[in-house]
Amino acid sequence: MSDLLLLVPFVAVIFLNLLPKRARGAALWIAFGVLVLEVAAAFAERFATIEVSAFAALERVFPFHLATDGLAGLLMLCAGLVGMAALLVARKTFEDADDRFFFSNLVLVALVGINGIAMVRDLFSLYVFVEVTAVATFILITARRMAGNEGDHAFEGAWKYILLSVIASVLMLTAVGFLLLSTGEITLAAAKEALATQDPLAWIAMGLFLCGLFVKGALVPFHGWLADAYTAAPAPVSVFMAGIVTKASGIFALLRIAQSTLGGAAPGREILLVVGAVTIVVGAFLALTQTNMKRMLAYSSVSQMGYIVLALGGDLGIGILAAGFHFFNHAISKSQLFANAAAIEKELGTLDMDEMGGIGSRMPVTAGTTAVATLSIAGLPPLAGFWSKLLIVLALWNAGEYAFAAVAILVSLVTLAYFLSLQRRVFFGKPLEKWAKVHETAPGLLVPAVALALVTIALGIGFPFVLKVLLGGGA
Amino acid sequence: MTQLALVLAIVVPAVAGLLTLVLPQRRAPWAPAALAVLACAFELAIAVYVFPTDFAFAWPWMGFGVEFALKLSRLSAFVLLGIAAFSFLVTMYSAVSMSKASASRRFHAWVLLTVAFSAGAVLADNLVLLLVFWGGLLLTLFAMIAAGKTRPFATAIKAFVIVGLTDLALMFGVMLYGHLAGTLSMSATRLSLDGLGAVAFLLMAIGAMGKAGALPFHSWIPDAALDAPTPFMALLPGSLEKLLGIYFLARVALDLFVLTPESWVSPVLMWVGAATILLAVMMALVQKDYKKLLAYHAISQVGYMILGIGTALPVGIVGGLFHMVNNAIYKSSLFLTAGAVEREAGTTDLRKLGGLGRAMPVTTAAFLIAAASISGVPPFNGFFSKELVYDGALARGWVFYAIALAGSFFTAASFLKLGHAAFFGKPTREERQGKETVKEAPWPMLVPMVVLAGLCIVFGLWNALPIDRLIVPALGHAAESAHHGPFSGFPTNMLLVVLTAGVLGLAVLNHAFGVRRTGKGLGAVDHIYHAPGLESIYKLQATGALDPYRMLNGAAAVAAKGLFAIDRAIDWIYNVLATNSALATSWILRRLHSGDVNRYILWTLAGAVAIVLVVLAVVGGAR
Repeated sequence: MSDLLLLVPFVAVIFLNLLPKRARGAALWIAFGVLVLEVAAAFAERFATIEVSAFAALERVFPFHLATDGLAGLLMLCAGLVGMAALLVARKTFEDADDRFFFSNLVLVALVGINGIAMVRDLFSLYVFVEVTAVATFILITARRMAGNEGDHAFEGAWKYILLSVIASVLMLTAVGFLLLSTGEITLAAAKEALATQDPLAWIAMGLFLCGLFVKGALVPFHGWLADAYTAAPAPVSVFMAGIVTKASGIFALLRIAQSTLGGAAPGREILLVVGAVTIVVGAFLALTQTNMKRMLAYSSVSQMGYIVLALGGDLGIGILAAGFHFFNHAISKSQLFANAAAIEKELGTLDMDEMGGIGSRMPVTAGTTAVATLSIAGLPPLAGFWSKLLIVLALWNAGEYAFAAVAILVSLVTLAYFLSLQRRVFFGKPLEKWAKVHETAPGLLVPAVALALVTIALGIGFPFVLKVLLGGGA
Repeated sequence: MTQLALVLAIVVPAVAGLLTLVLPQRRAPWAPAALAVLACAFELAIAVYVFPTDFAFAWPWMGFGVEFALKLSRLSAFVLLGIAAFSFLVTMYSAVSMSKASASRRFHAWVLLTVAFSAGAVLADNLVLLLVFWGGLLLTLFAMIAAGKTRPFATAIKAFVIVGLTDLALMFGVMLYGHLAGTLSMSATRLSLDGLGAVAFLLMAIGAMGKAGALPFHSWIPDAALDAPTPFMALLPGSLEKLLGIYFLARVALDLFVLTPESWVSPVLMWVGAATILLAVMMALVQKDYKKLLAYHAISQVGYMILGIGTALPVGIVGGLFHMVNNAIYKSSLFLTAGAVEREAGTTDLRKLGGLGRAMPVTTAAFLIAAASISGVPPFNGFFSKELVYDGALARGWVFYAIALAGSFFTAASFLKLGHAAFFGKPTREERQGKETVKEAPWPMLVPMVVLAGLCIVFGLWNALPIDRLIVPALGHAAESAHHGPFSGFPTNMLLVVLTAGVLGLAVLNHAFGVRRTGKGLGAVDHIYHAPGLESIYKLQATGALDPYRMLNGAAAVAAKGLFAIDRAIDWIYNVLATNSALATSWILRRLHSGDVNRYILWTLAGAVAIVLVVLAVVGGAR
């Protein structure tokens, strides 16, 4: 069953390319169907571990074990929901049928990588699937022929991502090598045992692997590539990339390692705490004065990823839950915000917030859903983001990390400040004269935004129930 | 199943309330009212369905001992039933009475949200969860008054400030209780009333009495009577707020603390109750407006309940809770008759009313029953609950009994005056003017008031039904511990009954005297108004000088000036210092992000080296 999650998107890609040129319009809906299956799989009963041993002779060195659990289900759910939203945005913003076809293909390729990340249990396979995802991302960013791309900017954004990704690859491969030298095994469980013995080589390997993932997840100071890559990408690509792709390859992998390998051991915990806190602060302050809407959202992403990593440094009993829930909330709200940005860009032709003003009265639905998402990420009750932040603070508090808990709370204020400034600059006030003819965007583009906003509200209000399910399900 | 039903009892009215806000008003103007009636009917069905069960569950929620805990005990089951029943009757009534009001849609939305919050507050078994719902009620209260007609906004602000302050006291009380008891659950421990425990008790009691509208947290109610929609008065100050406030006071006295007659807070509660009875009824006596007169009675009657619970004797507590039920019944019935009169005659000013009895026989009959009930005339329900309260009050001191009995006299006197002035007597030419077409109110308005009036009789004649089935089981341990004969049936202490009858007779004599003296029903109590000493107090009250809210505002103005200077300084820290340093930080960070990829690579490598060094230092050092 688990291997199907890898095979289905893969076969779907091959199938799409066998379609006659006339039938390519269906590609987007086929990809959408695969994502529906993905969401269904996330809710399906946890299937047992299966062991696909690809290289029987090298079993010990290159095991290839797949297993799903609550955490994997969470990633699949996020991937499915965000992917659907991205496809719906693509349907309305890519005018060329070839672009839509192309995008659908790459979403499926990335999905293979994401599902792999969700299910693997060893560092080498993790590295492989992170790279699979990254390759799909490079192409998505650079695809200059796609509409709405800003020529050389796209190349610049992708170039930075590739350069830093190469460094990450080197770090992670070195880490795998070191771990093999140290223990002769590379499963997460084996790594945990090696770390427990305070073996320096194993710890250096873990440090390097973490650095690689920090680059992928764009944590400060490994975040240089992110803003340009997000800003340069065309609208649906930003939705998909910001919502799930980079989060899965960097942050989710960190979650998995924190859960299965680090287990709160020093100095891994301290590294996560410090990097998380620095990321939160720097990301939030960077977002504060941005004028490009997508760039502000990009830095906000950086800051929010810091929260997740910070939670992993807290009391792991709550920390994993908190990080997972914040991961979900962020995936939902941020992809929704990028979808809103896409709507604004489509109607106004710009993302420069200095040129906007009073759009709210012209685009009330977009303004409303944006408010829901921004307030949720800023952590205002009763929206979903409030609860995940509360859990994060609780995880830190229980671990006795009061200073870090204080950072988490105080930076929420900065988060609120930059998001309110976004709302004010874009939506509030009287519409400027040049936007007098702007009207609400197409219903097709509103559907993903409204649906995701409703998820945020429902999760927030129904939180006691959600928490009960989360605790019962052991996610 | 019960668990689901309890959650639905909160969720369904809330969702329905939000739904009314988005219904297409132009195409279906009747939709909000219909939805409100349906949702309240559903709420009533749930309340009946869960009524026989005892049930509790807790979901983890905010951490720190704050759980999403709901509990259905006898007391809450029965208050929930009351809330559902009253809201159902009132929405049915307001479907007609509010149909022309432009704010009908919003009004129904707020009613439904109020029902949701009330159900939540009654079912909550965790103090913080209770605070959340309690706070929600404050918002809907504000919104509903603001939906009225004349100068409602100032009244809404007044209600918001007063109730908000008592909510604040409740919040501090909850904090103190949590600190002392080590739990925020409402059914875990009972604290004794010494030292800080008594402070916590009083703070929480203030929250409860503020919601119920006892002195000195009452002064927004008479204002609201004139400014807010009538169904609102019947629903909130008339029934729901009394139910909630007294319910919570009972929970505080029975489940959270051990209230004993020896404790000093017991007399405090009794004095608050006694003062509320007497002062509010004195004000009610001289009112010249139907709704305002009722509003003062809404305050006065709370006094009996607080007095009853404050006695800390089983008989008093049973009486207080029974009075809570009875008051909700007859008071909402009375407010509904006021609404019917307002709709048909166009005014509630008693100087312009008179002789409506002929045109509105059903309304008049309902009024008579409810008025007899509130005055404590046997065999209506108010008589029995008051006798129980008297019994408890006399056991604690004759002065409390005397005040309560005096309250009865003035209550009876003021309702004789009200009935005489509005429904009987020959209308003067001026009173007849423009009222030739007055007719009976439509049936959806009559049914609720008749049902409620009928309940006054049922709960009077068969008072064993509410007392033995609802109230005594709700008390549990408190009622059993000192059982001195049945609480139901006809009062055992015949002396008290005789005295009550005597006082009622005096009230009738007084009315006859006043009417003969002035020649009209409205003037029946003028001699009391003009009594030496009283007149000057009444005049002072009329200027608003005795309104605690006014006094508070005066004190606040002085304090505000001093605080303003401090505020400017703090403001500078937030608005200038914090903002500028945040912007400067942001600017520096942006400068650092030049877009130069070499710089980013350098940071990445430096970060990696730093982490490896940290790892080496820690792990190497450990070995």
